[in-house]
Amino acid sequence: MTYFTIILPLALRNLRRQIRRTALTASAMIIGGALLIFTLSFGDGAHEQWIDSGVRQDSGHITIERPNFRITRKIEDRLPEQIRLTAEQAIETLRSTGYIDMASSKLTVLGLASSPAGARPVQIIGVDPVSEALFTTLDELTVEGRYLESTDTLAAFVGIGLMRSLDLKIGSRLVLTAQDTTNEIAGQLVRVTGAFETGVEAADQSLVHIPINTANDWLTANNAVTNIGILVEPSHVAPQISSQLQQILGASLSMRDVAVMNWKEAMPELASAVMIDDFGAYVVNGLLLIVIAFGIINTVLMSVLHRHREFGVLQALGLTPKQTSAIVLSEGLLLTTVSGVLGIVISISLSRYFLGDGIDLSALVPEGSEVSGTTIDPVVIPMFRTARIVQSFGWILVIGLISSIYPAVRASRIDITESMKFDR
Amino acid sequence: MSDQPVAVKTEALSKIFSQEAETVQAVRNVSLTIEQGEFTALAGPSGSGKTTLLNLIGGLTRPSDGRVWVAGQELNTLSHKALAQLRLHQLGFIFQAYNLLPVLTAKENAEFPMLLQGIDAAERSQRVTKLFQQTGMTGLENRKPGKLSGGQQQRVAVIRAVASRPALVLADEPTANLDSTASAALLDMMDKLNQDLDVTFVFATHDSRVMERSKRLVHMIDGAVESDVSRT
Repeated sequence: MTYFTIILPLALRNLRRQIRRTALTASAMIIGGALLIFTLSFGDGAHEQWIDSGVRQDSGHITIERPNFRITRKIEDRLPEQIRLTAEQAIETLRSTGYIDMASSKLTVLGLASSPAGARPVQIIGVDPVSEALFTTLDELTVEGRYLESTDTLAAFVGIGLMRSLDLKIGSRLVLTAQDTTNEIAGQLVRVTGAFETGVEAADQSLVHIPINTANDWLTANNAVTNIGILVEPSHVAPQISSQLQQILGASLSMRDVAVMNWKEAMPELASAVMIDDFGAYVVNGLLLIVIAFGIINTVLMSVLHRHREFGVLQALGLTPKQTSAIVLSEGLLLTTVSGVLGIVISISLSRYFLGDGIDLSALVPEGSEVSGTTIDPVVIPMFRTARIVQSFGWILVIGLISSIYPAVRASRIDITESMKFDR
Repeated sequence: MSDQPVAVKTEALSKIFSQEAETVQAVRNVSLTIEQGEFTALAGPSGSGKTTLLNLIGGLTRPSDGRVWVAGQELNTLSHKALAQLRLHQLGFIFQAYNLLPVLTAKENAEFPMLLQGIDAAERSQRVTKLFQQTGMTGLENRKPGKLSGGQQQRVAVIRAVASRPALVLADEPTANLDSTASAALLDMMDKLNQDLDVTFVFATHDSRVMERSKRLVHMIDGAVESDVSRT
């Protein structure tokens, strides 16, 4: 009760009394808090883009495949039709969680693409044109022709590098050769319907999408697939959904026949890149928090040193040393809380208003830049995650509390009669 | 000795201040007994130890030697919290330099000890309003200390000290900044509290008007009691 009737009002009035000093410190903290939230949301936005781009170009946030497929990339390591159907059933079951955005089954083989101009090693991915158009970002990177359509049969969507290397044009014929399920070398004639440009040389030279039905017939796959890619929303639930899928599949299948991996397991290089970048951001933000801490210590300690006499009077009138320190702690926490909230609100509002469409870093990020084989989009959209904001606010409060402890201890330990000798 | 309960008792009380290599004995072997309801003045020249003795009695500083009892409690044995409680419920302080809290208005300053005691707002307001009237401070309730003259601040300090109705009021030069009229009004008010509510007053003072009104005059020189005269 004493806290709300005496300590808190006194703390508030003391902050108001030195309004310029309070405002200056609060401004520094608001800017610091806003920068903290902005850098974190910018980093999260960039990482989300890397992850999104990476999983869409590869095997999704979660992939279901044979345990060896990621190493061998051979058609022997495929999921037979029965396992595929069981996996698709499990995915359907988990749709009720609301986290599963979509799933796309693929038949991937390594092979050769040939034209009269020459031959190139390629990765051929048999896809369902409709679901893959929603899954991949390649269709958005079309530079010539168009992406595959559901009515396409003998069609191929290729990288611009491959197109140039094999001197292809839209409508050109292309022969794909690969080992089929009977271990025979099989060829398939297709026509180029379109070309994409990711800016990543390896992808532009070697990636070929064809309709999955064509791949199935050509490779005599009997409706088997090499992996089922799943996209989830938001991406950070991937480990949780992956674990649930494992449990469901584990009930009816041997985990020697099927593996469920989230993107961190399937793309460890990308996960490491995100982690290292996060670590750098934590170091910078840690320094920022230290600067904020010194701002609070400066304000609160100066305020305590200027008010020795008052603290002496308060204790002479019957306030305990603990209650005296509570006034100082409250001042620090009030300053921190209000500044932290304002910093967060300002950061989110300004970012959403001015940067809602993203920050174009084309001038800083050369075309074709990649992180662990994933194309970097130079336009970064800051991402505001509630958990991240709560976590940052928590850190700001902790810093406010820690920074106020020393001034609070000083205030509680004053010698009453000595403090009365201070000049007013 | 009368049969009145003892408000303050000191036994061989001494206080030594050390500053670098120098030591100053501010209070020397003072043994005093002040009964409840006394109106006592500690007189003496500057540096004679009056303020230090008041601070020792108020538990604002610890003695170097000797013991102090206030309201039957030996201060040396009390924790910080217990000492704070004693000051809150038993003592009222009037400081020479007023020592009002600058962030509070005159009325809020006067009500502060009662707020700490948990007295309800209506009761606080009633007591303070009456005291403001008695001291000619009506109309100045909502002014901050910075907007009051020295004399007005001193009156607020006195009101703060007595409004919570402590058993013992320790006053350090309470009339130092007041003109003769205000000074007489304050002394009348304290005299009335002394008479009506049996509040014990101990003053440290140079002011002959206070000495004349006191019922007991303790004269101090160089930290020691030189004379102790009771007057009826």
